[in-house]
Amino acid sequence: MPSPPPDWVKALKPSGPQGSELLAQERAQSKINVDKLSELLHTREFLQRQEQLVKLLQPEKVFDKSQNHTLGRVERLQRSLAKAKRLQQLAEQHQWSMEELHAANELIGEPTPYGLHASMFLVTLREQGTPEQHKLFLERAAKYQIIGCYAQTELGHGSNVRGLETTATWNPEDKTFTINSPTLTSSKWWIGSLGRTANHAVVMAQLFIGGKNFGPHPFVVQVRDLESHQPLENVYVGDIGPKFGYNTMDNGFLLFNNVKVPHVNMLARFSRIDKDTNKYIRPALPSLVFGTLTWVRSNIVLQSGGVLARGVTIATRYAAVRRQFQDRDADSSSGEMQVLNYKMVQVRLLPLLASMYALHFTGRGMMNLYEQNQQRMKAAASPGQDNRGAGPEELRAGADLLADLHATSCGLKALASTTAGEGLEVCRRACGGHGYSSYSGIGSYYSDYLPTLTWEGDNYMLTQQVARYLLKSARAVLSGKAADNDTSRILRTYLDRREKGASFDILENDADIVDAFAWRTAHLTFEALKHRDAEKRSWNSLLVDFWRLSTAHSQYLVVKNFYEAVSSPKLSQSLDNETKTLMHALFRLYSLHTLEREAAEFFSSGAVTVRQISLTRTSAVMKLLDEVRPHAIRLVDAWAIPDWQLDSSLGRSDGNVYEDLFRRASQENPVNDLVFDPYPWNAAVLKNEPPKSKL
Amino acid sequence: MSDFTDKLRPSQPDGPTTLAHERGQSNLSVEELSRHLLSSDGFLERQARVLPIVQSEPLFSKEKQQNLSRPDRFKLGLARAKLLRRLKDKYQWSHDEYKMAEYLVDDVSPYFLHLEMFITTIREQASEEQRAYWMPLIESWKIIGAYAQTELGHGSNVRGLELEARWDSRTKEFVLHSPTLTSSKWWNGSLGRIANHAIVVAQLMLPKPDASGECVSHGPHPFIVQVRDMETNLPLEGVVIGDIGPKYGYITMDNAYMLFDHFRIPHSALLSRYSSLDPNTGIYTKPEKPALVYGSLTYVRAQIVHHARLVLARAVTVAVRYTAIRRQFQDRDGDKTGPEMAVLDYPTVQIRILPLLATTFALHYAGQAMCAIYQNTRKDVEKGDFRSLAHMHSMSSGLKSLCTMLAADGIETCRRAMGGHGFGGGSGLIQLNNDYLSKPTVEGDNWMISQQVAAYLIKKMTTAVESSSSAAVDDTDALYKEFIRSRQGGATPPSDLSVLENDSNIVKSFELRATALTYDTYEQRVLKKRSWNSLLIQLHKLSKAQSQSILVATFFEALSSDTSLSPPVKDIMWGLFRLFAFNTMENESFEFFRCNAVAKSDLDQLPNRVHDLMQRIRPHAVILVDSWMIPDFLLDSALGRYDGRVYEDLYNRAHRLNPLNRITFNPNYWEEEIIKGSGDDVSNVLSKL
Repeated sequence: MPSPPPDWVKALKPSGPQGSELLAQERAQSKINVDKLSELLHTREFLQRQEQLVKLLQPEKVFDKSQNHTLGRVERLQRSLAKAKRLQQLAEQHQWSMEELHAANELIGEPTPYGLHASMFLVTLREQGTPEQHKLFLERAAKYQIIGCYAQTELGHGSNVRGLETTATWNPEDKTFTINSPTLTSSKWWIGSLGRTANHAVVMAQLFIGGKNFGPHPFVVQVRDLESHQPLENVYVGDIGPKFGYNTMDNGFLLFNNVKVPHVNMLARFSRIDKDTNKYIRPALPSLVFGTLTWVRSNIVLQSGGVLARGVTIATRYAAVRRQFQDRDADSSSGEMQVLNYKMVQVRLLPLLASMYALHFTGRGMMNLYEQNQQRMKAAASPGQDNRGAGPEELRAGADLLADLHATSCGLKALASTTAGEGLEVCRRACGGHGYSSYSGIGSYYSDYLPTLTWEGDNYMLTQQVARYLLKSARAVLSGKAADNDTSRILRTYLDRREKGASFDILENDADIVDAFAWRTAHLTFEALKHRDAEKRSWNSLLVDFWRLSTAHSQYLVVKNFYEAVSSPKLSQSLDNETKTLMHALFRLYSLHTLEREAAEFFSSGAVTVRQISLTRTSAVMKLLDEVRPHAIRLVDAWAIPDWQLDSSLGRSDGNVYEDLFRRASQENPVNDLVFDPYPWNAAVLKNEPPKSKL
Repeated sequence: MSDFTDKLRPSQPDGPTTLAHERGQSNLSVEELSRHLLSSDGFLERQARVLPIVQSEPLFSKEKQQNLSRPDRFKLGLARAKLLRRLKDKYQWSHDEYKMAEYLVDDVSPYFLHLEMFITTIREQASEEQRAYWMPLIESWKIIGAYAQTELGHGSNVRGLELEARWDSRTKEFVLHSPTLTSSKWWNGSLGRIANHAIVVAQLMLPKPDASGECVSHGPHPFIVQVRDMETNLPLEGVVIGDIGPKYGYITMDNAYMLFDHFRIPHSALLSRYSSLDPNTGIYTKPEKPALVYGSLTYVRAQIVHHARLVLARAVTVAVRYTAIRRQFQDRDGDKTGPEMAVLDYPTVQIRILPLLATTFALHYAGQAMCAIYQNTRKDVEKGDFRSLAHMHSMSSGLKSLCTMLAADGIETCRRAMGGHGFGGGSGLIQLNNDYLSKPTVEGDNWMISQQVAAYLIKKMTTAVESSSSAAVDDTDALYKEFIRSRQGGATPPSDLSVLENDSNIVKSFELRATALTYDTYEQRVLKKRSWNSLLIQLHKLSKAQSQSILVATFFEALSSDTSLSPPVKDIMWGLFRLFAFNTMENESFEFFRCNAVAKSDLDQLPNRVHDLMQRIRPHAVILVDSWMIPDFLLDSALGRYDGRVYEDLYNRAHRLNPLNRITFNPNYWEEEIIKGSGDDVSNVLSKL
């Protein structure tokens, strides 16, 4: 690394007021109890564990982050595997739980090549394997004696699992399956941890028995030799190359040339082949599989709040430290204004600040619903039910809740991950020029997060499932056979009051805001139903309407969950009055800002008047920005993201933005070790380097 | 390497079959449209001339660049920039041909600032004598320069700069000094490792006339300064320079930091075409017309606006071709026996991509109009007529803000519309996205500069109100006066302006909305005296409305005045115009309604209209992107290849071009070894970094 700068540079300070002073001033002007709020958000246990983990991990050289942005792909992956190994050693040494390992991984700040082994491979073996298969695969996998991944998507096929091309053909004569890749587009693709690391994979393949296709099923397949780590014969496997982000993960491709695996390698908890009769035994309780997906999506919603919080923490702190231009209306002797005082910066950052709270509470709400539902399902899952078929909506036990939760999770996953992903970019741009530097800590985090918008169901594709569910509910409400859940309730309310019209007092009454969002969803649902059922329009031609409907419904759910959280006894008990009032302000800011952006739909549904929307825009939102502004720094402090995790010069909690930017540029930047020859006529790129390029 | 995968083919129908079908179903002529778009200044011919030369140089191969570390990638970038410059001599390229080669190679050149801001500043701000001395040195590349204005703590606000240039009357020198850390120059391109000279903008500090010995600032001024040794290329004594480190994009640019410690430069360093200091008397002469300094910034903004069309066209080309080939799910209403549906047939994909396709053309005509206005204004200014300057400045600011946002967000929208593979290195949109995302904040932050547009419009409105009875002085003034008159009759009835069947009414509607917002803002600021800060959000919306109105108007005018396009092409171009306008209007429909700028019944019809227009344009989508004539070499995209061999290319990149696949890892966590058989353990991996 470059030699230290001369003394006259070391002696320089940023011009005053210092970032540390500005942040101190910010923290002094608000009385929010940061610790209480942190505990409410994360629990005391989580915060203590986080502190301990930072103490343990940060000093280890292997976890150093300073070169993350400068290394080439090959070096980054090597280093990431080194991190993953060390984490696993520590996990063993300290007997970490899954939560602790996960928390440690979050602090490391990048995906590692063990990622899919630790998540999808283990989960799939556990949930879809029989006790015999647990003994054979899961036990070894849990000890990392075999390392695996989950191979579903293919080069030509993503969300549509039924379109997969990889085949698994049952051979009755020797009781094996032949796994084969018939085309190039059938190559497994995007499979995390597979590219260079895993030696096993759960492969989703079309099951063929006696020429008949039984749809996609999971098979455990060994892909690399446990000794040499070379691919097995007739297996072709590798990393798919550099990506927009996620470059510390070895996403892989995988092709099979008629590879045989034994009968026991088909994961058989839900469906299997009878070895003696060669008959396929139909799946039981598929709802549990839907359950896992619902859990994964609920988790994405919960995490999206934290993801957004990283961008908002960085941008808000930096906007409090950064000053630019004088206030046009102030006298010329005053200093430059803190950027956070600009209304056009506030209107970008503060609604996002409100959103991160909104998403967090919504995620919490969904996880609770999910847990409740699991309890009910378990209680009801008696043997007599095993032979029921297909989708979640047809199940008896907990059916209403599950259907509601499944549809809800689709729409919310789409809304939450889009809000978080796009919000990070808004935060980056709000940081102005320095936001473009890697040391802002936002850019690479954004790139790593972006796949969340496509995986576990592409955000646009998912919206169809929400629409389908809402249409179905609307038909049920009309025919008087509706299930007893929230969706039916809001649809029925709308039908009952449609003639009278709505008169929601969104400017004065918080509960009315929730009702206005419900009204808009119901209105759009019946509009869509009219297009589909009365006008007989094609499904395809309505996709844009469905997407809007799903977004509206999900926004309603966020508003509803946020409202319930800020009005809950739990919140009242844990927060003082001032903080509580502010939580209500955040609720209103999120809701009214959303309402204003979607003004046309609220207006045309008759939920609000033009006058109300104008007042929302010119007065209510402005007042809320003023109300929240003084507390902005404490509100991001309460999220309690350690500096080491933020890894951002701009977002440091001590406000020493400029010192840190300069230190990194001059001391951690390997480009400054090189002296270049600038003249085009000299082919040598570096001074004292022979004129040949190895590139 | 040969293996069983060599014989595998994609499932049918494959990419080439699909694209052949797409191209067969449209009656538009690619040649006609591409000539219309790109021939007027010889662009197409230039591209055809330069492409084969560039493509044949191994150094310009893009195959491995995504895998390199920052230092290696920068070295590659410099090696390419050098070669490009040498090729210019070898083939006797004109400046435009050289720029074409740079565009096709697609690296941000570390020489960029030398070729642009450095030379432009000398040309525009140096005195005759200074120009005579410096221009030959720059043009012969005997010196290599950069432009150092922004500082660690100071961006858009030039007046806030901290670096000082203090006049020492005893030695007749200026003393450059960085008083604080925040005064460090920062972000200055080409300076971090390359340039040996720089234009340095510093506060000109002159002794107070009262002989107290104290100095007072006369504002920021440009100085030309040698900063590195011509032999060693190391910084001179008293100067600290370096590269500021990795960024979101611009990996081949050495953006700099730079600090001075009482560094002495001669009197002749102050660029003195507009302001000067008499070395003997110490008397300072002010610029006659400070607005002239904005000249080059306006030029840069006009260039950015003009270039936005090609940037967006590149992303849309990839997205249209790939989504035409990519299939997913069967039609729910179909019989479910055929192949899966092409993703481009989903309205949820169309609504993201086709309006952007229309936007490429809107940007094209706006860019042309902007360049024409720039040329005319320049001529006026040369003649001493400054009247159109403010208008041009406002227009370039607003369009820069809107067009870079449309292009930057458009690239990302296209990338996401492609699902998982859009995230992969084979999309061809990653470096484009990374590099282009600098644009919304560079050369005037998009949010900050929207204030300049609004301030100008408020001023125009104020004048119009004050002189409402006299004749209009220009088009804007006429528009405003008509609006003011229409309001005098008291409450206005709901608008009956119908845009669905009348294209000129579309333009009128956008103008009305912008005018109503201007009047509204004028009322708030001038009549009700609301604070500037409380209006900033409204000002931004106003700037956007005004610039959208310009995009719609220039698109309309270009099509109306065109006499060369054939009826089928013209017909689709009008369709694209309406798609762009209606989609924009629908996204802002509440504002159009509130401003009473269009009939309510029309607003209700917009979603259906947009849907119908998309169905009309859909069959021509591939031909329309083909017309932008973006070569595969520039696209560098497996997904967007002209021939549609998407999956073969993705596989080739992963399988054959990926250096990671030459390494075998040791996956066991209890073994420290990382690369199988190398014996390299974690500490070795670390020590090599």
